[in-house]
Amino acid sequence: MSKKKKAGTSLLYQLIGEARGYDDVIIMGRGDPDFDTPPHIVAAAKDAMIHHHNDYTPPQGLLPLRQAIAERVKRVNNIDVDPESEVVVTNGGQEALFLMVLAVTSPGDEMIVPEPNYNTYADSLAFAGGVKVEVQTYAETDFRADPQDVREAITDKTRSLLLVSPNNPAASVIAPTDMAEMLDIAIEHDLMILADDIYDLFVYDDFQHVSPASLPGGKERALTLNALSKAYSMTGWRLGWIVGPADLMARVTELKAAVSGGASVISQYAGIAALTGPQDAVEMMAEAYRRRRRMVLDALDEMGMKYGMPQGGQFVFADIGFTGLDSAEVAQRILTEQHVLAYPGSAFSKDRKDYLRMTFLQPEDQLMEGLERMKVAMDNIMAEKK
Amino acid sequence: MASNTKSAILAQHRANADLNTPLLPQVARDDSDLAADGMCAPLDERIIAAASAALENGQTHYVDVPGIGPLRAAVADYLKSVAGAHYRAGNVVITAGVQESRFLSIQMIGVQYDSIALPAVVHPGVRKALGVRGRNPRTMPVDPAQGYLPSIDAIVQAAADGCRLFYLESPSRLSGAAYAADEVAAISQIIADNDAAVIWDQGLASWVEGAYASAAALDSDCARAAVIGEAYSGMGLASWFVGYIAAPEAWVSSMQSQKQIMAICTSTASQYAALEAGQLYTEARGRQLSRLARLRTDLLGAAGEAGLTVVGGEAVNIIALKLSEDNMKKISRAGIDFAAGSLFGAPDVIRLNVNHSTAAALTALN
Ligand SMILES: Cc1ncc(COP(=O)(O)O)c(C=O)c1O
Repeated sequence: MSKKKKAGTSLLYQLIGEARGYDDVIIMGRGDPDFDTPPHIVAAAKDAMIHHHNDYTPPQGLLPLRQAIAERVKRVNNIDVDPESEVVVTNGGQEALFLMVLAVTSPGDEMIVPEPNYNTYADSLAFAGGVKVEVQTYAETDFRADPQDVREAITDKTRSLLLVSPNNPAASVIAPTDMAEMLDIAIEHDLMILADDIYDLFVYDDFQHVSPASLPGGKERALTLNALSKAYSMTGWRLGWIVGPADLMARVTELKAAVSGGASVISQYAGIAALTGPQDAVEMMAEAYRRRRRMVLDALDEMGMKYGMPQGGQFVFADIGFTGLDSAEVAQRILTEQHVLAYPGSAFSKDRKDYLRMTFLQPEDQLMEGLERMKVAMDNIMAEKK
Repeated sequence: MASNTKSAILAQHRANADLNTPLLPQVARDDSDLAADGMCAPLDERIIAAASAALENGQTHYVDVPGIGPLRAAVADYLKSVAGAHYRAGNVVITAGVQESRFLSIQMIGVQYDSIALPAVVHPGVRKALGVRGRNPRTMPVDPAQGYLPSIDAIVQAAADGCRLFYLESPSRLSGAAYAADEVAAISQIIADNDAAVIWDQGLASWVEGAYASAAALDSDCARAAVIGEAYSGMGLASWFVGYIAAPEAWVSSMQSQKQIMAICTSTASQYAALEAGQLYTEARGRQLSRLARLRTDLLGAAGEAGLTVVGGEAVNIIALKLSEDNMKKISRAGIDFAAGSLFGAPDVIRLNVNHSTAAALTALN
């Protein structure tokens, strides 16, 4: 079996499988926060098991949860939605993403996707028979998606524009002026917008997150997703949502019912507790990510690695082009030789064979150790090159 | 400013009758709700303890896409015990409920075949799942005298017409009628002879009192049959959304890839709860089955006295009635929540859950 031939998700499965075999592995790959879910949320789930385990849930989710979501997107994102008709609860951000893509894509429709991007968008688009039209972004400009490039990519088949901000894996945040221009373009060319706000609570330095649906004329053409996975360390609960205009959300509701029927009521009650309960755990975790990001950047600077400045999110996308090797090979060597798992850029985009994505979702001592080991692996690679 | 793009999406959406098929509630609101697919059932304290312990011990993270290993193994064992199936843990995908099982199996197995043959009377979730991305369904006529299952002849005919993928429910989600062992043997033979495949919804098999025959039992190489259902019905987990697919390994890998794309994994709390439910299942099921069977026998008597036509079925958790137009009006006016056969494709039939309120519903028809 040739390891080099593998791409995308299957390559990741292979690396994850190997990583499991090492007792001392340090995982800087998967986007799963190291923190467990805060105890008050777990307690709410337990309470729901006792008092609400038989509750009926409509496909779009329990109304109290939809109300909590409406309140949250108003407070954090400045999006006004009616919890009765403009919110659908999903099995995580992933199902939200899949449903959003299905909602706006018919076979042959084009979606403009700034690259690199979260690879599930391409997979979902392929399922729907849609066509991905890439707009490239570059480390030198901190992976900024240039509205002008978007404009130039539009054809008569373009139906939607994907805006993931902060982006995964590039960690770029779409600046307010760019976001306004993206929306202008969408209005001018009558495109739907798919906005992925899953990292909206993780924005660094002076960067600012704006949801396109919060801008004038935005809501009626935007579907916006979010999830509790990253912000509340709730990846295993599978709880997310889509908000958007009532007419499109009626379609999203039918799609949700068709794909999975509903979401676990236990997770939904946990979600209510997460959104309406104390938020200090979220702030504590966000603070930890800020510190860790700094640690990673310092270590990369020391290794002389280039990267786009991570303006948001929970990872860094670093350039390993100087090794002269494909990122799949570099990721493989770091894993096999040093037991550190980082994701190769080729898993995100065929054109990013020169990059590695490193998450900072592990305790600081581990992260430090992981970075040191990575440096050893890189030094070995470079020594061989000479 | 109005959007033409959006109007076009919405117009297409409205025209998609399959996608707009209404679903039934996943669980009854209370005992007076006789329409739901799943029943309101008490949750054993040991299940609560197991699921809470898992969460408290940090099982709050992503888990493997096809499900946690012990649950996959437990489901494989369960399928062996209720249906004589030959699956191993690696053949099982844990889903976020039976509708996700329908969607994944129909879409991902379906993509390998030109068309899919469906019973004319089938759970509305099937058409709904097909509505997301059309898979060229072909309808097999059903036999009302056989509980609205397609006859063997209808299956033979679909195969003769070139259909190579079959979707079958046994028991029927409308009537509870299940294929007998000789019929299952005949179906398996048709599948093998035509190099075909079957998606076999056996979610209601848990409610069959006597012997149950599954297509999976006759697929000894695990090559042609995928079975789907909800995990451990009647254990109080209907609202936790946990289901399964067991299938040949090649299909598992494509369904697993698609599950990653559309969900990443199934809720950990639901999976750990199901794992514990599996341990308690055999004992709890025995008690429930005999209780429901007694209730249903009484209902059959009452229906007979009232001159109502009961559709024959083996699943003891439901009772289906073929109603006159007059009676259909009566029951609708009586404010009883029933599952309308029209959602399944049989407009003159209703399905009622069997519980302590069902008898009162029948009196509305007297
Ligand atoms: C950009 C983006 N969207 C959506 C998701 C899905 O997240 P989840 O399904 O865990 O909520 C992820 C996960 O990594 C992501 O990075």
